[in-house]
Amino acid sequence: MTHTFKGGVHPNYRKAPDVSISVVAPPAQVIIPMAQHIGAPCNPVVKVGDYVKMGQVVGDNPAPVSAPVHSSVSGKVVAVEPRPHPLGDTIMAVVIENDFQDTPCEDLKPLTAEQLKDPDAILNRMREAGVVGMGGAMFPTHFKVRGGIGKVDKLVINGAECEPYLNGDHLTMLNYPEQLLKGIELVRIASNVEKAYYGIEVNKQDAIDLLNSFHPEQYGIEIVPEAVKYPQGGEKMQVKAVTGREVKPGALPSGVGCNVVSTRTCYAVYQACYEGRPVIDRIVTVSGSALGHTSNALTRVGTPLGYLAEQCGGFVRPPRKIVLGGPMMGICATSFDAPTIKGNSGVLFFTEEEDKNIRDPHCIRCGRCVEVCPMNLEPLFMYMYYTKNDYENLEKYHVMECFECGSCSYICPARMPLTHAFKTAKLMFQAKAAKDKAAEAAKAAKEAKK
Amino acid sequence: MSEQKERIILDVAYQPQVRTDRDTRRLMLDVIIALMPSIIVAVLQFGLNAVILCVSGVVSAVFWEWGYRKLFKKSTDIGDLSAVVTGLLLALTLPALAPWWIPVIGTLFAIVIVKQLYGGIGRNFLNPALAARAFLLASYATLMSACPVPNALSGTVDGVSMATPLASLYGVGSMPAMFSMGRLFMGYIPGCMGEISALATLIGAGYLLYRNVISWRIPASFIGTVALVTLIFGGKGFGHGEWMLYNLLSGSLLFGAFFMATDYATSPVTMKGQLLFGAGCGLLTVLIRYFGGFPEGTTYAILIMNLCTWAIDKAFRRHPFGVTKGDLMLKKAQAVIAKEEKR
Repeated sequence: MTHTFKGGVHPNYRKAPDVSISVVAPPAQVIIPMAQHIGAPCNPVVKVGDYVKMGQVVGDNPAPVSAPVHSSVSGKVVAVEPRPHPLGDTIMAVVIENDFQDTPCEDLKPLTAEQLKDPDAILNRMREAGVVGMGGAMFPTHFKVRGGIGKVDKLVINGAECEPYLNGDHLTMLNYPEQLLKGIELVRIASNVEKAYYGIEVNKQDAIDLLNSFHPEQYGIEIVPEAVKYPQGGEKMQVKAVTGREVKPGALPSGVGCNVVSTRTCYAVYQACYEGRPVIDRIVTVSGSALGHTSNALTRVGTPLGYLAEQCGGFVRPPRKIVLGGPMMGICATSFDAPTIKGNSGVLFFTEEEDKNIRDPHCIRCGRCVEVCPMNLEPLFMYMYYTKNDYENLEKYHVMECFECGSCSYICPARMPLTHAFKTAKLMFQAKAAKDKAAEAAKAAKEAKK
Repeated sequence: MSEQKERIILDVAYQPQVRTDRDTRRLMLDVIIALMPSIIVAVLQFGLNAVILCVSGVVSAVFWEWGYRKLFKKSTDIGDLSAVVTGLLLALTLPALAPWWIPVIGTLFAIVIVKQLYGGIGRNFLNPALAARAFLLASYATLMSACPVPNALSGTVDGVSMATPLASLYGVGSMPAMFSMGRLFMGYIPGCMGEISALATLIGAGYLLYRNVISWRIPASFIGTVALVTLIFGGKGFGHGEWMLYNLLSGSLLFGAFFMATDYATSPVTMKGQLLFGAGCGLLTVLIRYFGGFPEGTTYAILIMNLCTWAIDKAFRRHPFGVTKGDLMLKKAQAVIAKEEKR
């Protein structure tokens, strides 16, 4: 029996897991942005002219919610300046000229056998190795796991990979099953829980069988087969499917005793602890109609997107859009010169073929958005209030609960820009809340002066 | 390569970056396909006149839609095929003896007054085809109630028009022998073009359900309610089961339940709301049939429930993921306590 949640959609998956992992040759220059995580951005710790080794720290920040960034090649630092960031804007980055020697940095040693059993040592290593949520959220893993200790009694590992195109998790399961299970065990030990539940969609049955043949129970892991449905990999959906618990509105999974960690993150934890290797590369699924085929490319962090496309066969048609991550929740990059970062599970180069937006759409009230919304919201009414600037009702219809999975927009036959509207509305609410808070603080300061 | 890159202007958009292939046009096309069995039966039973009425309905509906949008300088969207569906639905609710201009007037009312004046597709609060049918019934009562003899019965009956099974059921109180259960099911009976054949309607409905164009909720609760009520209360001179079957197969109940009550714009979007909507349609249909002076139970039942759609959607708001019944009760209890404390 497979586990799942209510609602959701079945997009055209277009997966190509049979395309084995290809290794992208490191570029002549890598660009390491200082912000590759949620939280305080790093400050560069190297300067122009420095020689750095592969895996050496190039940026760090002592703030609790942060993670250091490392050089993904060895070579000379040629620039420390703001560069285009894949998620938009320009952000401080360290640019390293590759000497193609890949001279490894020896700063991080593999953990000893005792350390591998010590939650603190594992947590420290997660931070040192710059492990962040590699499913795309990029939340510093050490902070998430540490924050859950005592509150969390069930660790949920996300192996749904419900986004179309993406194969990185699937290939990690197939190629490094034992390492992956050991990585999950480490996260489990660090979280101080008895058991980890590994939710995997059954379209990866080969991976489920393979992992089961390595006796996951000896690592304290149970594999939970899940129905193939988007957004099965959403945190709240994953917790619901695996444990039956429902995260309360506005709360985090830790509120119901669960922490969700992605597959690739667990593998990164394995590499950090057993091999002493920081996060400097990952599998990126490169696809889209502009390329015409799919590559699952082991890519160094900091590889420019344009170079990545060239390495994966080049364009057969001019691209119109670069999507980072999967097509359902991925966001658009604005520059070919922006580099890949730790959280990039995919880079999709789309043309007009994928663009189905129309001018002047009309809602036909078919109610499909209501049927598919995994959060039980009513997108068509929320959209109506959005167009009327009726924020009071938007809040009443729980717009803040929307986690922008895109299911409503995906299924909408009238092509209404639903998710777009809710994302905009949420940003406005957040801006308003910040403004109110600032006004209150100013008021309090004034009173204090009196 | 880099020069080429310079020239490319990249699009940016919020997620999702992909969408389903099934757009409004495709859904409407599916409805048109689902109506084909009923149209074929109508043509077989009533001949050329059925073709004329369907063509007249479609052409006039598309013309009114196009003309209105053009006249008021709005984006023309006849490509979504919704006007075609309205024209066909209206034509199928007419008796085959109606002259060709009846659908033209009907679609004028349906498209311009019911649909476009309220903002076009998705904004109307009454089912356009049904509202137009009600309008035509009031305006051309004799033309609208003269149902011709179907080809299957020619020879058995004298004259051009005859009473429908539903009229016999409630007016006379007995069912003539020629209206056997089999004939009712196949559609060898007099009546409006689309409603006569239960078989054709069910084939179309099966297609709509299979293609997930409509959900089962409204038709199931609609037909279920009619079946339940007629089974319980029965009718004079009939066995309860027989009475129920006659009620289901005669009149436009099945056609209305699958093709009219499921109209997106005029039915609720929440699941519970849809069940209530269907049950309301069913109950009103039976009430009108039992106590009304008019055999048009289904039409008016659906139109009345259309008016309740907005209220039903408000009443059956969904609670977001993670909110349990316990949470809701707690909230209610807190509100009561707060009220008491105020006192």
